[in-house]
Amino acid sequence: MGGVGGELRYEISQNAYIKLVLHSLKHKTSSVNGVLLGRSSDDVVQIIDSVPLFHNHLGLLPPLEISLIMIEEHFAAQGLGIVGYFHANERSDDLELGNVAKNIGDHIYRYFTQAAILLLDNKRLEALPKGKDRLPVLQLYTRDASKNWKLAGSDGGCRLITKEPAANAVLLDYISSKKWEDVVDFDDHLDDITKDWLNPELFK
Amino acid sequence: MVTKTEETQLNRLESQVDNGGGGAWEYLCLVRKLKVRRSDKVLKHGLSILNDSKKRSSLGPEEWTLYEQVAIAAMDCHSLDVAKDCVNVLQKKFPESKRVGRLEAMLLEAKGSWGQAEKAYSSLLEDNPFDQVVHKRRVALAKAQGNLSGAIEWLNKYLETFMADHDAWRELAEIYVSLQMYKQAAFCYEELILSQPTVPLYHLSYADVLYTLGGLENLMTAKKYYSSTIELTGGKNTRALFGICLCTSAIAQLSKGRNKEDKDSPDLQSLATAALEKEYKQRASGKLSVLTSAFKSLKVSS
Repeated sequence: MGGVGGELRYEISQNAYIKLVLHSLKHKTSSVNGVLLGRSSDDVVQIIDSVPLFHNHLGLLPPLEISLIMIEEHFAAQGLGIVGYFHANERSDDLELGNVAKNIGDHIYRYFTQAAILLLDNKRLEALPKGKDRLPVLQLYTRDASKNWKLAGSDGGCRLITKEPAANAVLLDYISSKKWEDVVDFDDHLDDITKDWLNPELFK
Repeated sequence: MVTKTEETQLNRLESQVDNGGGGAWEYLCLVRKLKVRRSDKVLKHGLSILNDSKKRSSLGPEEWTLYEQVAIAAMDCHSLDVAKDCVNVLQKKFPESKRVGRLEAMLLEAKGSWGQAEKAYSSLLEDNPFDQVVHKRRVALAKAQGNLSGAIEWLNKYLETFMADHDAWRELAEIYVSLQMYKQAAFCYEELILSQPTVPLYHLSYADVLYTLGGLENLMTAKKYYSSTIELTGGKNTRALFGICLCTSAIAQLSKGRNKEDKDSPDLQSLATAALEKEYKQRASGKLSVLTSAFKSLKVSS
């Protein structure tokens, strides 16, 4: 059955994960967002890729609508669909899931009922170099029976993991080499269409 | 706000300095002039001048301006020790200065001592109620604490006096959009368009907000403002061209069965899709098929 409930797990690929975190580091003074692409099988939703979306005016519809249409068209050819949404708040100590994020999540949920919202946890990101945190520095939200976005707590299970166990080590590496400077989002593309939101060269 | 030419010039200078090609002082002056936020670069290159006594003395009286610029950049990068050092230097040189007092208050803000910073700003405003920088720091203070309604209140009060401050109107509009208060955001853009009718950014943002508000009337007005954006930018604004397509599609959906009130609709929309297809063919051909499919989904075609 999957759907709502404590059984459904999410597995995010290293590249999808790192791309999103780097995007938020590129735009430290604003909130940023992105979409998650993937597919579901049995009791796991695989987040295989991600596309960073915006770093300005996240609450406006036109750029969002255009981006979702184009992204969906592109990934459908690979058999992947939009499976979730990523959000990073403007202030580093803000762990609240705001209304803009929830609304976009709701929209994605209409087409994929196992949709997840991932919220960047800055405190855990900052603590990465010091600890041995192997879990992605993200909070996971899923829709519960009363249509609310509920935080997946640390109630025994790790519902969100990275596919590659050393993802955080790779992330730290990229951070120290300031790789975030190379991340292109949909805002960048709309300002200059020669910039590719697929970021094909990012991890080469 | 910075033009594309100015931004290109700034970026060129920045990579020149980054790669050891000199021009640090020129870069720092340009950042100050354009009022852009490049705090990590300003900190790095500013310090390289300040820590070199020969370079520092060759600046003459501009040395103090640099200390101020680096202090603020350091605060933005949370290098509070560096900031404190710069402020101390300025305090010694200008002991009674209100301008330095302002930096001291900003240091409190950067430290997160909200209450003390608030007191300091209020007292500075008592002495000079027309200090625009301090007024805006107070808004930033509220925003930093997550008090967006407080920030909105302060910003509205500020704009009652300083209604020609376009950056402030834009900031207010952005806060409203982040809170999904679109009607209020629209009002801000209306003020901006009234005072500066030839700035395309305001037309574009206004159209985006109207589209987000939705409803047939707003969509039709949005379409007009996407058109004016296209006019003001010589047809080069990708966002406005997409906006036309989105509006056409949304209006068609809303007015199914009714007579189309927009007589120039098919021409405008086909011009927009043709313009986008041409641009993508020339400059982003890898995305052309995705674009064409997108037009199909929107049921708009050239």
